[in-house]
Amino acid sequence: MQGGSSGIGYGLKYQARCISDVKADTDHTSFLTGTLSLKEENEVHLLRLSSGGTELICEGLFSHPNEIWDLGSCPFDQRIFSTVFSSGESYGAAIWQIPELYGQLNSPQLERIAALDAHVGKINCILWWPSGRHDKLISIDEENLFLWSLDCSKKAAQVQSKESSGMLHYLSGGAWDPHDANSVAATCESSVQFWDLRTMKKTNSIEHAHVRNMDYDTKKKHILVTAADEYGIHIWDLRKLKVPIQELPGHTHWTWAVSCSPEYDGLLLSAGTDSTVNLWLASMSSSGDEPSERFPILVLALQFFLLHLIPCLISSVDIGLYCVCDSSIESPTRRANPLLNSYSDYEDSVYGLAWSSREPWIFASLSYDGRVVVESVKPFLSKK
Amino acid sequence: MGVDEVPMDDKAKRMRDLLSSFYAPDPSVSADAPSKSAPLDAINTGSFDADQYMNFLVQKSSLEGLLQRHVEMAAEIKNLDTDLQMLVYENYNKFISATDTIKRMNNNIVGMETNMEQLLDKIKSVQSRSDGVNSSLFEKREHIEKLHRTRNLLRKVQFIYDLPARLGKCIKSEVYADAVRFYTGAMPIFKAYGDSSFQDCKRASEEAVAIIIKNLQGKLFSDSESIQARAEAAVLLKKLDFPVDTLKVKLLEKLEQSLGDLQLKDEDISYYLLKSNDPSKLEKNPESVLATAHEASVREFVEAVRAYRVIFPDSEKQLIKLAQALVTMNFGTAEQYGKKRIRSADLLCVLRIIWRDVLLMDEALPEAVLSEFSLQAAQITVKHYVASRYSHLLQDISDALTKVYVGQKEGVEEHPLQVALEGSKKAVLQGSMDVLLDFRQLLDEDLGLLVKLKDLIIDWVQEGFQDFFRALDDQFLLLSGRNNSSGQIHGLMEGAQGDKVRAGLVLVLAQLSVFIEQTAIPRITEEIAASFSGGGARGYENGPAFVPGEICRIFRSAGEKLLHHYINMRNQKISVLLRKRFTTPNWVKHKEPREVHMFVDLFLQELEAIENEVKQILPQGLIRRHHRTDSNGSTTSSRSNPLREDKLSRSNTQRARSQLLETHLAKLFKQKVEIFTKVEYTQESVITTTVKLSLKSFQEFVRLQTFNRSGFQQIQLDIHYLRTPVRDAVEDEAAIDFLLDEVIVAASERCLDPIPLEPPILDKLIQAKLAKTKEKNPISQ
Repeated sequence: MQGGSSGIGYGLKYQARCISDVKADTDHTSFLTGTLSLKEENEVHLLRLSSGGTELICEGLFSHPNEIWDLGSCPFDQRIFSTVFSSGESYGAAIWQIPELYGQLNSPQLERIAALDAHVGKINCILWWPSGRHDKLISIDEENLFLWSLDCSKKAAQVQSKESSGMLHYLSGGAWDPHDANSVAATCESSVQFWDLRTMKKTNSIEHAHVRNMDYDTKKKHILVTAADEYGIHIWDLRKLKVPIQELPGHTHWTWAVSCSPEYDGLLLSAGTDSTVNLWLASMSSSGDEPSERFPILVLALQFFLLHLIPCLISSVDIGLYCVCDSSIESPTRRANPLLNSYSDYEDSVYGLAWSSREPWIFASLSYDGRVVVESVKPFLSKK
Repeated sequence: MGVDEVPMDDKAKRMRDLLSSFYAPDPSVSADAPSKSAPLDAINTGSFDADQYMNFLVQKSSLEGLLQRHVEMAAEIKNLDTDLQMLVYENYNKFISATDTIKRMNNNIVGMETNMEQLLDKIKSVQSRSDGVNSSLFEKREHIEKLHRTRNLLRKVQFIYDLPARLGKCIKSEVYADAVRFYTGAMPIFKAYGDSSFQDCKRASEEAVAIIIKNLQGKLFSDSESIQARAEAAVLLKKLDFPVDTLKVKLLEKLEQSLGDLQLKDEDISYYLLKSNDPSKLEKNPESVLATAHEASVREFVEAVRAYRVIFPDSEKQLIKLAQALVTMNFGTAEQYGKKRIRSADLLCVLRIIWRDVLLMDEALPEAVLSEFSLQAAQITVKHYVASRYSHLLQDISDALTKVYVGQKEGVEEHPLQVALEGSKKAVLQGSMDVLLDFRQLLDEDLGLLVKLKDLIIDWVQEGFQDFFRALDDQFLLLSGRNNSSGQIHGLMEGAQGDKVRAGLVLVLAQLSVFIEQTAIPRITEEIAASFSGGGARGYENGPAFVPGEICRIFRSAGEKLLHHYINMRNQKISVLLRKRFTTPNWVKHKEPREVHMFVDLFLQELEAIENEVKQILPQGLIRRHHRTDSNGSTTSSRSNPLREDKLSRSNTQRARSQLLETHLAKLFKQKVEIFTKVEYTQESVITTTVKLSLKSFQEFVRLQTFNRSGFQQIQLDIHYLRTPVRDAVEDEAAIDFLLDEVIVAASERCLDPIPLEPPILDKLIQAKLAKTKEKNPISQ
């Protein structure tokens, strides 16, 4: 269980909930994280993994007016991000731009590009379309779903359309389908609802209670992973919403967040209030229509070798391949434990979780006490 | 001869060629061989040409060869000369002895001449006398012969004329055999002269024969006649050229019909069982059991078959078919019977009956190989029986478990879960033992049928247990509703009553799994080892069919899963409670706390319900407060406890500012309290885990809110009130204290103005609440 010793730590000053991968930064592996302190001055930290991958360096420290409940980095501009914040009584949401730094680190002010100020109630999250440049934004509060059109150059955001979730449906979060810019999923108390943004109508729903967090598989279409407090993790095929493809037990206490690997098939991370992060290998095949689905580990490992290991680790390839073959022979016969590893080196509940899109075997996690831990899942790709 | 020998030689040569070509190291030698050997070998034949041979030899052979050949030849010639001499000498000897013999013969023959002449004379005189006698008797003899022939003819005519009367007499005295013999005797005459002189006679006798045939038929079909008589009748009928085949078919049909009566019927079986189950009766006169209607009818059938065989010797095939059909039918009945809930003694009884029938029939019809046939049928029957026993056992256990529902609904039972647990425990253990005992009876029975199946039965029993436990595991999962994901949500949406029952059931299942793993499996393994070892029809590479280790593992994990599932289900309910509590009020605009919020009561009620269930099912922990003395993490935290209370009771606005730092510091100084420890199968452990989890949920809910001062104070009040009852319920006070403090810390962190209630006010409110509950309690009780 002490696999977490390899993790690279970084301490925030205050408690924090949210961390996001800076996807648009193609030169570095960077993360954005914001603090959650009711009474102190909150900060946004821009963290960068050093080139050796041994250290987390604070590239920028910006003060933020209120405590941050949600933070999302713009997928096409590394200097832009969104936050949802609260002053205790009221909520707000805004798009920010990190000012040019020119080397000095004297806590410059963030530039607010746009305020998403159409909301009345508690705002849950702001969604960027994960797959690239898209001039739309989604924000979700308890009762409404807003579609904004954002113009960064003009520094303006306008409500394009809005739809109420309907009576007695309190929305709590959402996820934007990376394969379809017109489809968004929103969680409410008793179900997951799917919305079509063109018509702003509900298209479908999963009757599954208390979903806390969910994530689309960026590689495979139609796959949605949900995490629901005591009920664990469920993997759904959007074409067959009655029964999940797979259930994973989740955490000892609540499963708070879940995230699909941006690169490897079936690889999942989940964060829980039992102060652990679990790495899962799920079989996301409902019918096994692709050969790669039958041997996810093998394909995963091969992908890994082809993409990353061969250039640097030629000498160890033989051994690694041997291991791969070994495990691929065993895997069909006995159903392997889907839990690959449990990182338990945390002091408090883990709420924030983000894969790096640049180095897809690296992820960052954030526990409530403000500790960012960056881990690599490399050892679990070749082994097991 | 010469002509003959040439092809022979050719053949020999060819053989030799073949051989030499095969053996020769050099092909050239083999090529030479025939030309060389041909004249050499021809030396013995008539066509041997010495000159040619000589020329050939001189031409072909070397000098040395010639010399050698010369020597060889000289030796051969010498040998041949010696042989010739020997032959001449021997032949001379024989010639001398032959001359001796001839001389002696000559001497003997001289005296014989006179004797021969005398003999000739005597023979001549005998001849003349016999001629005289012959001539004198000739006339008379011819006359006698004529008379004799006439008499015979007359007798025959007389017989024919008497035939009808005779037949009539025969019919009267039922001597059909004689009648048939007479009739068949007269038949050629009737054929020759029946149309002319003996017309009347023929008609009369034919009438008589018709009667005979009728009588014989009647005899054949009448069951009262002896088999012998019926067989005779059939033979006679056949002699009378009566179409027997139709008779045969008719008779067979009759036999088939009787099969229906022979088939074992349920009433029969129950009748047998009644008798055999009553041991006193059985001991007194076991014969009476045997001598039943069924027995008799089987015997009858066997007799009929035997007779039928005698009557129609070429009818085995049909009879075999018939007998096999009967056996199949009977085993079918036994199989049906085996599907009911019966003890193996009963099945044995049925099998015994069938086996006895089979043996009887086998005697009469050895060609049918009925014992072999019934062995196969019995194999199927017993296998099905074993399978059905297991499925009944499974059914029994599920029934015992689902009694929880019934008990709960009727509201009669005081401790429905306990009853269910005890019931199902008993069902598992007792049921398994009963099953084993029953199967043992099957094994102990020295019925020929089952002795051969022993190994197979052992395997089936072992396999059956393996499958049974697997099925049981599946059944548990099904009952617990773990495997249908919608079940959980469904359970939540159902009324609280149904949900409660289900949760209890899950707990029962968990404990039952432990019981199976720890008690039932070892007992069963022991029992199996004692009486079901061997087997091995499966082959050794597969190992024994029953693998207790695997089953234990399955149930251990099932037990853990179910226990977790129980705790999870309970927690889900509490979470719903907490969720409602936290989403309803506006915490930022909370009013000053006036009393302990009622959700605390609900929470405690829920806890009580769990306690109630757990007490019924799980044992108490061996050492209470075990964790407190053992884990140093807890001790340190309990040491820091008063400090924390101090800290909280201090009404200091400054404190909130350094709150986070303090928390961090506190965490640094004490070890991480193990909140999520392994759950054990004790009352305390389960309750503690549930409380821990729900307090953790509490904390998480608090962290999601923002409070004003009053909101914070309300939380403080609620937690303070909770502390005492919760602490009483759990085994790990330190961890609970820690979690309760954590909730307050979380609330103060999320509070805009975290000023706690003054202790006196806190006490007052709590006292008020306590008084209120006390007031309520007598009424509720």
